[in-house]
Amino acid sequence: MSSGTASASSVANTKTTAQDILTGLIPLFLQLRKLAWLIFAVTTLLFFVLRQAGDPALVLAGNDATPEQLAAIRAQFGLDRPLLIQYFSYMWNVLQFDFGKSLASAEPALGKVLDMVPRTLHLAGMAILLTASIAIPLGSWLGFKPENPERRMVSGFLFVMQGVPGFVTALVLIQIFAVNLRLLPSLGYEWYEPKTWVLPVCSLASFLFPSLTRVVAANVAEAMREDYIRTARANGASQMALLWKHAVPNALLGAAALIGTQFAALLGGSAIIETIFSWPGMGWLLLESVQTLDFPVVQALAFMIAILVFSVNASTDLVFRFLDPRLRTKGA
Amino acid sequence: MTSVASPSSVLNIDNLALHFLGQDSVVEALKGISLHIDKGEVVGVVGESGSGKSVTALNILRLLPRTKTKIPHGAVSVLGRDVLTMGEKDLQHVRGGEVSMIFQEPMTALNPVLRVREQMFDVIMRHQKITEEEAERLSLNLLADMKIQDTERVFNAYPHELSGGMRQRVMIAMAFSCNPKLIVADEPTTALDVTVQAQILNLLKERARATKTSVMLITHDLAVVAQLCDRVYVMYKGKIVEQGLTRDVIGKPQHAYTRALLNALPEGKKPKSRLETVAASMIDGADSAAAPVVVRTTIQAGFKLYGQGQPLFEAVNATVSYPKKYNLLGRAISFQTAVDHVNLSITEGQTLAIVGESGCGKTSFANSIVGLVPLAEGELRYKGKNLKDHDDLTRREVQIVFQDPQSSLDPRWPTWRIMTEPLTVGKSPSRNELRETAAGLCEMVGLDPSAIDRLPHEFSGGQRQRIAIGRALSVHPRLLILDEPTSALDVSVQAQILNLLLDLQEKFQLSYLFISHNVAVVRHISDYVAVMYMGKVVETGAADQVLSRPEHAYTRTLMDAVPTLERAFAA
Repeated sequence: MSSGTASASSVANTKTTAQDILTGLIPLFLQLRKLAWLIFAVTTLLFFVLRQAGDPALVLAGNDATPEQLAAIRAQFGLDRPLLIQYFSYMWNVLQFDFGKSLASAEPALGKVLDMVPRTLHLAGMAILLTASIAIPLGSWLGFKPENPERRMVSGFLFVMQGVPGFVTALVLIQIFAVNLRLLPSLGYEWYEPKTWVLPVCSLASFLFPSLTRVVAANVAEAMREDYIRTARANGASQMALLWKHAVPNALLGAAALIGTQFAALLGGSAIIETIFSWPGMGWLLLESVQTLDFPVVQALAFMIAILVFSVNASTDLVFRFLDPRLRTKGA
Repeated sequence: MTSVASPSSVLNIDNLALHFLGQDSVVEALKGISLHIDKGEVVGVVGESGSGKSVTALNILRLLPRTKTKIPHGAVSVLGRDVLTMGEKDLQHVRGGEVSMIFQEPMTALNPVLRVREQMFDVIMRHQKITEEEAERLSLNLLADMKIQDTERVFNAYPHELSGGMRQRVMIAMAFSCNPKLIVADEPTTALDVTVQAQILNLLKERARATKTSVMLITHDLAVVAQLCDRVYVMYKGKIVEQGLTRDVIGKPQHAYTRALLNALPEGKKPKSRLETVAASMIDGADSAAAPVVVRTTIQAGFKLYGQGQPLFEAVNATVSYPKKYNLLGRAISFQTAVDHVNLSITEGQTLAIVGESGCGKTSFANSIVGLVPLAEGELRYKGKNLKDHDDLTRREVQIVFQDPQSSLDPRWPTWRIMTEPLTVGKSPSRNELRETAAGLCEMVGLDPSAIDRLPHEFSGGQRQRIAIGRALSVHPRLLILDEPTSALDVSVQAQILNLLLDLQEKFQLSYLFISHNVAVVRHISDYVAVMYMGKVVETGAADQVLSRPEHAYTRTLMDAVPTLERAFAA
């Protein structure tokens, strides 16, 4: 009986394959359209805002440049043209992924940024991994019996930790492990040398895991009050089964959103930690190029961060779909 | 305090008291109840919210949080074993194995991220030593017993892919899966449509009979009890006030509360007569603060009748559709029609009821009248003119009251602000004016006028619905749309609200569009009835005619599915 219906539906399926592929691509198309708008807005906004921040020719020429030298530099970089013309020629170049040359090193700005991307992804990825692997078990344990005295104490500790910025933890960790114990280096980055990762990753995670733990705990506690937990208990489920089989998978739906947001924030926002540990990533480059008013690099960075943050958010959506069967829409 | 379980008793509760421990207060939820259920018996436990019936049920399996409850005295024994002194391990064996439960809300009672397969295995593998293949065969057989056609699909589905009725079948299949001796069903059909309710109750009854399983059926619906149960216990304020064979208790009620409860039912009463309400002192905090209905005509003085003969409101080919699929540019390319070319009219001072089950489009239609969803086609005419072409003041004469008074009132607003919010649209009357108006509205809907500073959560469900009605009345409406106004309320409170609506209609010649799935209520309050099915009006006419001599096949199915006391005793 079931084979009959199966073959009937597969016939129907082959008929609509082309259309299915097209409709399947709609979400992707809509995402790309959003991304295009985002990049357009970010680059435009930055172009005009940065031009208000300072004169790039002054930076290039140095403090004791003569007016003639300044004029020559302006002419060389096209900075003497009307602002709108500059904008259009800039956007035309951006369309071809050309952000100009770094004012500091004369290398292509985008190339300079692209060198940094894997390093920042590495740092952010490790930090998020560590954060999640502490927060999910700890949060589940806390949320299972939130009233319990020792769990309340841990919650209180997390509440305080949540307010301690990552760079404070970083300085403390450096003092202990690099200065006093001399176990770990406090500077530098080599991708093949795990010792150089430990302190920066721990510093970032120390700031992120309290909030994620608290969200997981709150979600688990909420899930434990749901009707389906009562059903499972009425069916004789053990405490462990209640928590791990029934409550946690539901609680992670909410936590996944925060993990995505945290990861996205790390991509553009780990500037302080990268600077403290001399981790040559995007954050470090951002800080440096803002200080030297290296416009092309700042623009290229903004472009890159926009793309990365967007991709993370889009993949969070995908993860959601995987975790929550209610979002896996079938057909209609 | 000794529990002498008779050998044939599956469940024996003896003089049980149970207290809920609050921060600095103790609520006595059960005040010494005794009941027993014998092998193969179907026993009803009836009562309104707060009577302690659900607490009794949950306590059989010790499902109440132990830190927040105290049992001063009493005993609960299942198959002769005391569950109150049992350890967690033994309890897990009883739960689902010897006693299983069916809960009210099939939407939330199943885990949304697990397939039916996993949830059924969860129970079966815990209590039976069988292989996965055997468990699968057993599950599919159980689902087939529940008269599910495509058992394979249901077995592999996630809960959200199933309808409410289908989910409840899955719940029942799970409940029977480990051959329990007792099934405790807590309002198993309250959240379902009547036609589905009839099927589910029959399935439950048949399976219980076939497997000689005892059933404890907890419900507020006396008609359901009459149809299904051998014996019944009536609970009131944590006590059992009456017990006996169903026929005796419902046919010749002895206790004042049982009698009051039966009298509050609209069923079998003269249409538009005022229903007897359970005396305020008898309802535990429910609606006791309600003042007698004193209608202050000054506040609504000077309403003009639109005129006899012509309809006050007309829907002409009204069609509502929702987008279903989108194209590449995000534009809708296909639509789902919720309301399909509906033609209806309402005359001044009369009530038109729309009856139908969930998804039939009755609420979409109501929402389209007040402009919450746009019409795709057709026209809504008020006083002979398209509703859209009227000025704001006239459009305000059409007001709506929603179903759920728990969620339709802003929890942080005091009553006076909620009730008078419509008056502040485009105008700014002074705070004192508004408070005065609110006090007047309170009197009109039977609330104590001094309550205008209270917040919604300080009121009972019935009182909140009075607030919602008061809010609608604040702008002198001529047509009130009532979307299931009593279906979230207890029977005795429902009677009070129906009386209030009838009083208001008489005083102000209001017109009602009354939307409901409850045929007895509709029969009681309406002059005309329209039956909706899948977006279409399949039958209209005078209430008495449509409901007593239905012509359309669907109307007949609907009427047959409604459990009534009369029919239960005729059988």
